[in-house]
Amino acid sequence: MTAPLVIVHLYGRRMNIYGDIGNVLALRRRLEWRGIGLRAVAVDEGDDFDFEEADIVVAGGGEDASQQAIAADLVERGPAVHRAVTAGVVFLTVCGTYQLFGRRFVTADGSEIPGIGVFGAETFGGGSRMIGNVVVDTPWGELVGFENHSGRTRLDPGQAALGQVRRGHGNDGESGAEGAIIGNCLGTYLHGSVLPKNPALADDLIRRALVRRGDAGPGLGALDDAVERRAAESAASRP
Amino acid sequence: MLRIRLAVALARLVGAATRLVGRGGTALPGLVALAVAPRLIERIAAGIEGGVVVVTGTNGKTTTAKMITAMLTGSGRRVVTNRTGSNLARGVAAALVGAWRRGRLAADIAVLEVDEAAVRHLGPALQPRVIVVTNLARDQLDRYGELVTTAGHVGAAVSAAATAVLAADDPMVASLAVDHTRPVAWFGAVAELRAALPDDRALHDTGPTAPSRPVDALLSRADPSGDGTRIAVTVDGAEVGVTIQVPGVYNAYNATAALLAVARLGLDPVASAVHLAAMPPAFGRGQVIEYRGRRVKVVLVKNPASLNQAIRLLSEDRVPRAVLMAINDNHADGRDVSWLWDAEVESLSTTPHRFLAGGVRCADMALRFKYAGIAAPAESDRRRALDALVDESAPGDLVYLVPTYTAMLGFLEILLPHRSREEVWS
Repeated sequence: MTAPLVIVHLYGRRMNIYGDIGNVLALRRRLEWRGIGLRAVAVDEGDDFDFEEADIVVAGGGEDASQQAIAADLVERGPAVHRAVTAGVVFLTVCGTYQLFGRRFVTADGSEIPGIGVFGAETFGGGSRMIGNVVVDTPWGELVGFENHSGRTRLDPGQAALGQVRRGHGNDGESGAEGAIIGNCLGTYLHGSVLPKNPALADDLIRRALVRRGDAGPGLGALDDAVERRAAESAASRP
Repeated sequence: MLRIRLAVALARLVGAATRLVGRGGTALPGLVALAVAPRLIERIAAGIEGGVVVVTGTNGKTTTAKMITAMLTGSGRRVVTNRTGSNLARGVAAALVGAWRRGRLAADIAVLEVDEAAVRHLGPALQPRVIVVTNLARDQLDRYGELVTTAGHVGAAVSAAATAVLAADDPMVASLAVDHTRPVAWFGAVAELRAALPDDRALHDTGPTAPSRPVDALLSRADPSGDGTRIAVTVDGAEVGVTIQVPGVYNAYNATAALLAVARLGLDPVASAVHLAAMPPAFGRGQVIEYRGRRVKVVLVKNPASLNQAIRLLSEDRVPRAVLMAINDNHADGRDVSWLWDAEVESLSTTPHRFLAGGVRCADMALRFKYAGIAAPAESDRRRALDALVDESAPGDLVYLVPTYTAMLGFLEILLPHRSREEVWS
């Protein structure tokens, strides 16, 4: 192993509403347990940062006011984020930042928060909140998490979803789609936090980052995930 | 008035019937009373001679209300209070109905703990003489929604109160006074204690810190003393030194709020301190229960801020203890358990304690422990979890039970098998 993996927590000060810090912690521990070095970087509004220096970027959800507060900063970073996504930097965006990685978020009162259009998706606020434990069928197997959002995210034709909801609402409560993925950039409504309970996804994010750097080597060593599996099963069994 | 009397009579009948069938629930009589007389709360409240004290906020409501009640009762006032912690409209109605004697309320003053969302309507209905806002922190988002929404609810109630007793160190609470034209009394703590008071901002940026301002009640000391805390508070220039029976800096803060509230009600805080000292912990708020030769200290948690308070308490205890953290995800607990990740569980990894994970979501708690570097067995069965707690300790030992609300109710059924819930609450 050469240089440590750079894990970026984007907007961690404002967009952290549902235990999103757990995603950073999951990556950190799973790297530590394998003896892989890492450097954690916090990037908030106004901070100077080149996303192409990142290996994995994690961003979470926030209250409406927080989302509005970071929106302008994100738009400013838009071209840099697009370059990083094209370069294969791994992104995991959850809830509020997932929405802003789409083209726009139209709130219930009709005002519009511009997004950066990484995903071919738009979000419309309003209607009842979609709250509860979610089970999603995905290429990583069954993912479980908790959703709590009123925004309905509609994917463009051709924009791949992360998976199909087996239980819960997903993007819009109608299409059955949950989340979005383009290259190494993932978006989802699952929190809880999502990575600790879904180690296959956490490890795949790490693997993608290592492959991009040409450090994949013999692959990631297996870990004992019994506690993780039990937590996922327990969440999947709850309303 | 006839409607009120009818409502009271029916509610009491329902209350007696539910007690007969062995269910000590407090919701039904209140619901019945409000169904018969929807304006019952404001009608009765308006007739209370000494007025209504409302206590609201995210954490510390029950203990603060109990402290105020203890000091008022100690000074000879007849107090009606919702001591069960049932703090929605139905609970307030049930408390008022329960204190009804011969066509009138047998109380001089009301001390009511009110849920921070329900207070939007209950505040104006109760027209408080004093409202106390303990703090505003992120809470169960699936129930309360965003913190700014909660602050709006509490603000509406503060506007309806003659006097507001507000936490000066909490930026959200402090912001409530911006447009307030009526008297505000501020309570706070010296910088050193303020730093020891866990809040959301340890992990998150929820806006600017509160502006510093002179306070009417200042907490200057909070040292652990036995199972309680030795505190020093200056209220309107008078020094109060007292040992309270509840643990932690956060409870010292609650006591500061309570002393200031009773001062604004015309009591002498120095003379009232003796009643504060005599007050046992509220239900599950640092209460100690004997179980199979162990002393089980019950510390309720419900959100990141209160879990951080419990973590702080456990970190201050240098004696190796067995600790059971029991997390449920029923409606009253909040169905979303992601808040476990927002608390500073990592700091427990340097304590000498042994940890067990319990509750319906014991696996989530065990997972949280694992990523904090702590190996904790998970056991969802309550009896087996308590057995494990006993196995991990010796006779006479103090052990900790740190449950969410419905987990606590379940464990108390085992810990207190021969007592009804109402006895526990009293």
